[in-house]
Amino acid sequence: MSPASSANDAGGPISLGGPNDGAPRAAGAQHGRVHFQQQLQELETNALGGLDLIVEQLDRVLEALNHQDVELAQMVIADDDRVDGRYLEVHQGILSLLALQAPVAGDLRLVAALLHTIKHIERMGDQCVNIAKLIPLSGHEPPVRREVLDALRKMGALARSEVIQSKAAFAGRDIGLAEDLVRQDREINRLNREIFRMALDIGDDADTREWAMHMILVARALERIGDNAVDIGEQVAFVVTGLFREFSDSSHPAGVRADAAPDASPETFPDR
Amino acid sequence: MSAQSPAPDQLARFNVSPARRRKDKIARNTILAGTLLALIPLALIVYYLLLKGLGSWSLSFFTTDPTGNTFFKSSSIGGIKSAILGTVEIVALASAIAVPIGVGVAVWLVEYGKSSWFAQMVRFFVDVLTGVPSIVFGLFIYIVLVVGTGSSFAGYKGSLALSLLMLPVVIRSAEVILMLIPGALRESALALGAPRWRVIFSVVLPTALPGMVTGVLLAIARAAGETAPLLFTAAATNKTNFNLGQFMNSLPVQIYSDVTSPTTAVVNRAWGAALTLVVMILLLNLIARLIARRSRLA
Amino acid sequence: MTSDGTSLRTADMEPDELLESGQARSPMPPPTRPQTSAPAAAAVAPAKPGLSVRLEKLRAFYGSSEQVKGIDLDFHANEVTAIIGPSGCGKSTMVRCINRMHEEIPGARAEGRVLLDELDVYDSSVDVVAVRRAIGMVFQKPNPFPTMSIFDNVASGLRLSSRRSGDLRPKVETALRGAGLWDEVSERLDEPGAGLSGGQQQRLCIARSLAVNPEVILMDEPCSALDPIATLKIEELIAELKQSVTIVIVTHNMQQAARVADRTAFMLSGELVEVGPTQEIFTNPTDPRTEEYVTGKFG
Repeated sequence: MSPASSANDAGGPISLGGPNDGAPRAAGAQHGRVHFQQQLQELETNALGGLDLIVEQLDRVLEALNHQDVELAQMVIADDDRVDGRYLEVHQGILSLLALQAPVAGDLRLVAALLHTIKHIERMGDQCVNIAKLIPLSGHEPPVRREVLDALRKMGALARSEVIQSKAAFAGRDIGLAEDLVRQDREINRLNREIFRMALDIGDDADTREWAMHMILVARALERIGDNAVDIGEQVAFVVTGLFREFSDSSHPAGVRADAAPDASPETFPDR
Repeated sequence: MSAQSPAPDQLARFNVSPARRRKDKIARNTILAGTLLALIPLALIVYYLLLKGLGSWSLSFFTTDPTGNTFFKSSSIGGIKSAILGTVEIVALASAIAVPIGVGVAVWLVEYGKSSWFAQMVRFFVDVLTGVPSIVFGLFIYIVLVVGTGSSFAGYKGSLALSLLMLPVVIRSAEVILMLIPGALRESALALGAPRWRVIFSVVLPTALPGMVTGVLLAIARAAGETAPLLFTAAATNKTNFNLGQFMNSLPVQIYSDVTSPTTAVVNRAWGAALTLVVMILLLNLIARLIARRSRLA
Repeated sequence: MTSDGTSLRTADMEPDELLESGQARSPMPPPTRPQTSAPAAAAVAPAKPGLSVRLEKLRAFYGSSEQVKGIDLDFHANEVTAIIGPSGCGKSTMVRCINRMHEEIPGARAEGRVLLDELDVYDSSVDVVAVRRAIGMVFQKPNPFPTMSIFDNVASGLRLSSRRSGDLRPKVETALRGAGLWDEVSERLDEPGAGLSGGQQQRLCIARSLAVNPEVILMDEPCSALDPIATLKIEELIAELKQSVTIVIVTHNMQQAARVADRTAFMLSGELVEVGPTQEIFTNPTDPRTEEYVTGKFG
């Protein structure tokens, strides 16, 4: 786990980030239950560290995709054990904390959010594995199309950026940052639809078509990673406000026209 | 196997040092000696009472009045019936006066007066009265009720003097007992919706009863043995008398007058009377404890 | 105790006990809470409405020192409201003002209004003794009367209220059943009350309070002196009792408040910081001080 991405990114110990943040605290705040607070902090650091693992996995699998590196893809698949291990660790830690420390209020919301978040992280890991599994299927010299690969590269970059931003949002309890994830996610969705369209028009060559199908699946996996990042953003809002709301409907049914406006669900917050 | 039992010197610090042992022994023995020393006079008194007094006891001793003859050996000198009855009557009346009033004052002090300046003053004067010599009470009643009214001695006047004597003792001991009753008891009774007087009567006093009985007994024992007040108020007579408005005999007075007699038999009667007085107090004690135990529901 | 909801206990009251005997009480709808499976010591109390209590600008003083500094608080009828807060915050003092026990302490006084349904119990015309029969209290340390048997303890409330109580046995039995104690003591009602275990003694005190048929019961840390099993029994009892009385419970134990109370109020330094449904207070409190206290950062 890279030290730079520890929980102290926000500067100083994790603040509660309650709605009246900055309001004067009662004397003696932060002095009670030091041991419990430490455990909670470690749990959060551990969980968010999983996002660092995801970034690593994502970087490697995108690299493997670009250079058709089957061995790198194998490594990614094998390393998913680390992500799963992290999930189990955090899960156990959460159960233990719930049973032994009976957290309430903000602490309870944090623990619940961590439970969701680590699940999303594990899903992200699975998506990376899905991408990695698709790489050898294309063979050694796949008939690539530059524009598809470019689009995928952009999607990959966006997904990576979303993952990093989701971690920053959670660590800093920053709702603004969390809500901004939707903006990036819309872009990923647009690119996803574009790749789909490109695949439709890719031509008659059977090999190329097969490769294009795989690329659609890769795009889908990247899009799912983005969705999971947005979900983590929603958990940030829950921890801070105690209310759970969907930021936007980020999954789109296939066949929607590329130039169609993103779904405007009632829960969507206004554009920034 | 690693060393399971610690080395002897590690456990040595748990041993009691010989110096401590010595000091402990000295202290214990000193206290024991003190206790025995304190018990000696008590034992001696009991011994002498039994030795000298038991001999006078007989049926006629308890059933005949003193005849007043103290000089002729051959005549019967009589028993102490009137003295016993007199003591009982006088002390009973005195208790009937002192106990309700005393308990009442104690209740007021604890439940109502509390720490007001008036209550503090009352407590102060009660303390003063505890130390007043008994003869002063006798004199007081004598001045007020005998000389002042121009009337004669009477049993009830003796009772009054004795009740004055008993009052501060009853008040003090009742107050102590009442203060020992946990406030939580009063609180829960009040919280049930009971008026304060009800709380006192139905909850506080019954709980305080065993302790107060002891205090009252103490007061009675003291009163029963006082001679001086009775000399000026109830005087003495030989006849058994059930009229408290007239002269009345009593054990202390009887003892007082018998002890100085040259006739041995009369002196022996005094010892017998003394023993009787002690036994009476003892019996009273036992009866009262029995009553208290039954009312306590151990 | 009539449950027709038309008058405040005046049917059993001697005329001079409670003024405003003609005062109509707002009719209370019967509680519609679904019957959960009864615990082993089932309560047989008839479902009669408790009363609501409202504090208006309540202040309490010990001499010149103000311990409760102007509190406005509602206790809903037939609900359990918990009062939590650090030691010395004034919660016990406030609760003792509700049944006017606070003024029994020398030098203590209270200002403001305490409305039992529509009646201000601090009104000069109101009889304090009658107030305490309508608002019962259970204390931290179980304190059955030591000289009395179990039966006498439960009946004591009735006897002390100088009512012509008639045959006390059915009332004692009802009260003991209501406190979940009947099965354990029905065979030995003549034994001394002090001979029971701590948890049983506390339930005996609850039965004693129930016997006078109050509309409200105040509990000042009733389980502090008890072991966990006894505590649990009393918590179950509280869940049963609220069908017939309004309950206010002061507790140090936040988990207990969380388990037992419908609403929770948080007090700090004599002031009311926050009050709301227990679920809200323990998952998403509004005031940051509540958050800090509830998560254990101070107190």
